[in-house]
Amino acid sequence: MTSSSAASRKALSKIACNRLQKELVEWQVNPPAGFKHKVTDNLQRWVIEVIGAPGTLYANEKYQLQVDFPEHYPMEAPQVIFLHPAPLHPHIYSNGHICLDILYDSWSPAMTVSSVCISILSMLSSSTAKQRPPDNDRYVRNCRNGRSPKETRWWFHDDKV
Amino acid sequence: MGSEEDMHDANDVQSVEDDFYTGETGMGSEDDDYNFGDNYSDDSEDVTSHRQQQNYTILSEADIRQHQGENINRVSTVLSIPRYAACILLRHYNWSISRVHDEWFADEEHVRKAVGLLERTVELSNARELTCGICFENYPCGRMSSASCGHPFCGACWRGYISTSVSDGPGCLMLRCPDPSCGAAVGQNMIDVLTTSEDKEKYSRYLLRSYVEDNRKIKWCPAPGCEFAVEFVIGSGSYDVCCSCSYSFCWNCAEEAHRPVDCATVAKWILKNSAESENMNWILANSKPCPKCKRPIEKNQGCMHITCTPPCKFEFCWLCLGPWSEHGERTGGFYACNRYEAAKQEGAYDESERRREMAKNSLERYTHYYERWATNQSSRQKALADLHSMQTEKLEKLSDTQSQPESQLKFIIEAWLQIVECRRVLKWTYAYGFYLPEHEHAKRQFFEYLQGEAESGLERLHQCAEKELQVYLDAEGPMADFNDFRTKLAGLTSVTKNYFENLVRALETGLKDVGTSNNQATCSKGSSSKSLGNKSKSGKIKAVAGSSSGSGAPSRSFDDGNLWSCDRCTYANPRSTTTCQMCEHHK
Ligand SMILES: [Zn+2]
Ligand SMILES: [Zn+2]
Ligand SMILES: [Zn+2]
Ligand SMILES: [Zn+2]
Ligand SMILES: [Zn+2]
Ligand SMILES: [Zn+2]
Ligand SMILES: [Zn+2]
Repeated sequence: MTSSSAASRKALSKIACNRLQKELVEWQVNPPAGFKHKVTDNLQRWVIEVIGAPGTLYANEKYQLQVDFPEHYPMEAPQVIFLHPAPLHPHIYSNGHICLDILYDSWSPAMTVSSVCISILSMLSSSTAKQRPPDNDRYVRNCRNGRSPKETRWWFHDDKV
Repeated sequence: MGSEEDMHDANDVQSVEDDFYTGETGMGSEDDDYNFGDNYSDDSEDVTSHRQQQNYTILSEADIRQHQGENINRVSTVLSIPRYAACILLRHYNWSISRVHDEWFADEEHVRKAVGLLERTVELSNARELTCGICFENYPCGRMSSASCGHPFCGACWRGYISTSVSDGPGCLMLRCPDPSCGAAVGQNMIDVLTTSEDKEKYSRYLLRSYVEDNRKIKWCPAPGCEFAVEFVIGSGSYDVCCSCSYSFCWNCAEEAHRPVDCATVAKWILKNSAESENMNWILANSKPCPKCKRPIEKNQGCMHITCTPPCKFEFCWLCLGPWSEHGERTGGFYACNRYEAAKQEGAYDESERRREMAKNSLERYTHYYERWATNQSSRQKALADLHSMQTEKLEKLSDTQSQPESQLKFIIEAWLQIVECRRVLKWTYAYGFYLPEHEHAKRQFFEYLQGEAESGLERLHQCAEKELQVYLDAEGPMADFNDFRTKLAGLTSVTKNYFENLVRALETGLKDVGTSNNQATCSKGSSSKSLGNKSKSGKIKAVAGSSSGSGAPSRSFDDGNLWSCDRCTYANPRSTTTCQMCEHHK
């Protein structure tokens, strides 16, 4: 459902291409622990496999992250969502949208796909309950037309979880 | 946060909405501000006297930049920090120099951390090549820049970073180093070096706007297209300010100027009007049928005295459609158009019937006040236009035909200025009257008396400035009685001014003077023939000074001991009677 909005996105700028090439090389040399990226020829969309960290509620569970890069990456944040089925987590909606400040307001161009992945894994690892956000149904209903999570005005409750 | 604090009056709207004003607390709520202007604590200015001294300053864009620059210099000198750092601090503390000083000297380390000003600057590493933290390219260190933290980024990445932030809005004023773990502030000094002139310009506009919008003492003039701001001495009295663009507004709630009515009443009234606006549309229609011949009459003049077109020529009052002969001074009738006679005074009737009547009357009651509010509003607009045409063309013409230097014709401009101001005050007194509780008989009566005096004075002034002046404007050559006209118009201007000053003073003190007799008697020159009676039964209660008398003898004041107010219907009865002349209720 998000593929339509991804398709309509403009092609990567020269700067974005160069930067992503470098991130890709770095990833291949030094991938973040717990993540696997199947390299394709599509630089603008990465699909990354996440494995829940041992000793956490998500140990050995496998999920998939989809990362779409905008034209002016890294000045603009990438769009990061979980593909179906998204992990049960108080900050992850059933449509895969993730409530995490660095993906939106707190994004900085000095962050990378790798640093985003590490943040997401740490968010999963620190969860103490496998449950959906309390407003899941309402939020998902409002996103039905393939709205990007970047269009949401997020309200970041607590950054502990 | 700041702007909410500032709206202290308007904020109370919700809470007073239900309990209607009881006693003096509601209406007199601004008294504290008016009477005790010196018990506030804020930066700088020492305000001991008020009212006489203008308590606000109009700032042009150049003034704003200058003040802002001076503040930055001051903080920079006192704290021995660079100007860009002083600017960041001031912005963080909403441009309050005293807060910057207080916080800084209380806990410098904490303040530095909060705004991202590092104590020691970290120089760029002196390696020959550095890697940019955004594009990951290597560049010679001469092509790299960093904030005081030393995190290196290349020129193109800085430009992109700043540009993205600037186009996101005023948040760019709090820009930090791109490194997510860093937080070092990026000040205007870096913006000026690292970005395009277009972004520099945008940044400097945000900075200018911040000085007004984040400053609790300064607000933009709300007039469309106006670029002035107004700095107000908080706690110094009336919030009414007049911008250099000539728009008058309330500094506190940003509505148009509404002295002597308080912000809470204005906010309630405006809310009420929007809720009732559909019902009220018909009222705004510019035409009404002539009460005599029933042809539609269009009101195109400012005063309420309407004359139907020939052959009818019936003269009537636009507000009540009653014959003008019962309003004016010629017949010694009275002017009752400010009065809402809620109940038809036909003998006593029981409580439940009275209640039913009141419910039915509630829209009618609102309509009464709204119509008068709106009519004075449009009357004021018309008067403004008349004033303008007087200033731009008519005065010159008049000076020609009457062979008078324009300097001798200032009294006409003064009359029109008075009319414009009085229409504004009168308009808001109708919002006041609407919220003045019905059961506060004495206050209502006192209020309606003052309002009536003021209103009839204004009608005479407006009519004189509009219709009588026309004769001289139309004249071919000098007219012998022009000097009489001058005396009359100037006299009416000063009488009307007196009436309105009384009215304003009384409302601003919450009508506290009721029951005492220290209300300044108004000059009776050309005095109104209005009394508080009801036309059907009352005669004139007091002798009325003749309109031609220039003696200036003091006229009646409301509580001169000759009247008593009926508990049931508020009618003002002569002292000599013991039952109400209106409803036969016993004293
Ligand atoms: Zn830094
Ligand atoms: Zn760079
Ligand atoms: Zn203005
Ligand atoms: Zn106000
Ligand atoms: Zn007629
Ligand atoms: Zn009338
Ligand atoms: Zn009575």
